[in-house]
Amino acid sequence: MKKFNATVKVKLKPTIKDIKALTLEKAVNNLLEVQNLKCRVGNIYSLEFEAEDKVQAEKIVKTISDEILSNSVIEEYEITW
Amino acid sequence: MVKAGIIKFLGTNCEQDTKRACEFFGWDTEYIWQNDVINKSYDVIFLPGGFSYGDHISSGRIAKLTPAVKSLPIGKTLIVGICNGFQILTEAKLLSGALTYNENIHFISKVADLEFMGETIKIPIAHQQGNYTGKGNEEVILRYKNNENGSDEKIAGIYDRKNKIIGMMPHPERAIFEELGLTDGRKIFEFIKNEI
Repeated sequence: MKKFNATVKVKLKPTIKDIKALTLEKAVNNLLEVQNLKCRVGNIYSLEFEAEDKVQAEKIVKTISDEILSNSVIEEYEITW
Repeated sequence: MVKAGIIKFLGTNCEQDTKRACEFFGWDTEYIWQNDVINKSYDVIFLPGGFSYGDHISSGRIAKLTPAVKSLPIGKTLIVGICNGFQILTEAKLLSGALTYNENIHFISKVADLEFMGETIKIPIAHQQGNYTGKGNEEVILRYKNNENGSDEKIAGIYDRKNKIIGMMPHPERAIFEELGLTDGRKIFEFIKNEI
């Protein structure tokens, strides 16, 4: 078995209203005097695990991302190795 | 006699209220543990409110993977998800759409006016992720009069008649007993009984 590290970034799809981001934008615009900030809020997950090879490792990360880390109705994710 | 099962997840906190509500109607009620496969016969199975798995990652996200949810008798038994139970059902994709953060980002706990079967009823709501979006073919059975959380089309509850699955954010089990000041939850339990 080999050790693998992957990072999964999850955020809301552009079509879904990002309430946390809107709150942050409002606060920054009002309190830090930054004009017209646009942002999206998300989560980053660092995964460390063992797998036979890269193919199996990719399958494991995809399963975790699809089943637990994101909801395909409202979120999208990207994996970096 | 109606036989009801209530699934208890790690972090569920409305199972006793739901059981008392069922028993108010004389239903034979028992708990189902989340790690047990459902192989007994029920007329209705409730996924009650609470904070399954501490709402970590997202409300209902982890509980959808439990053996009890995976073995729900879809299409055979009426399934009713209340609040966190509704979140679990959408996360499991047993109901369409998703429940996102309330528009004002706050946890809202209040008595809401709701439209139900052509009348206005009062039922408590208590949630932070109740902002419903992405309805599919389900029938809308409950709508907020004042849309407290910003849901699409003021949706508070939906019903997939084909697969016999109901999901709602309001807590009818908290509006059964006169001592608690509200009794409109009885109307929803009567509706549930008629749909069995």
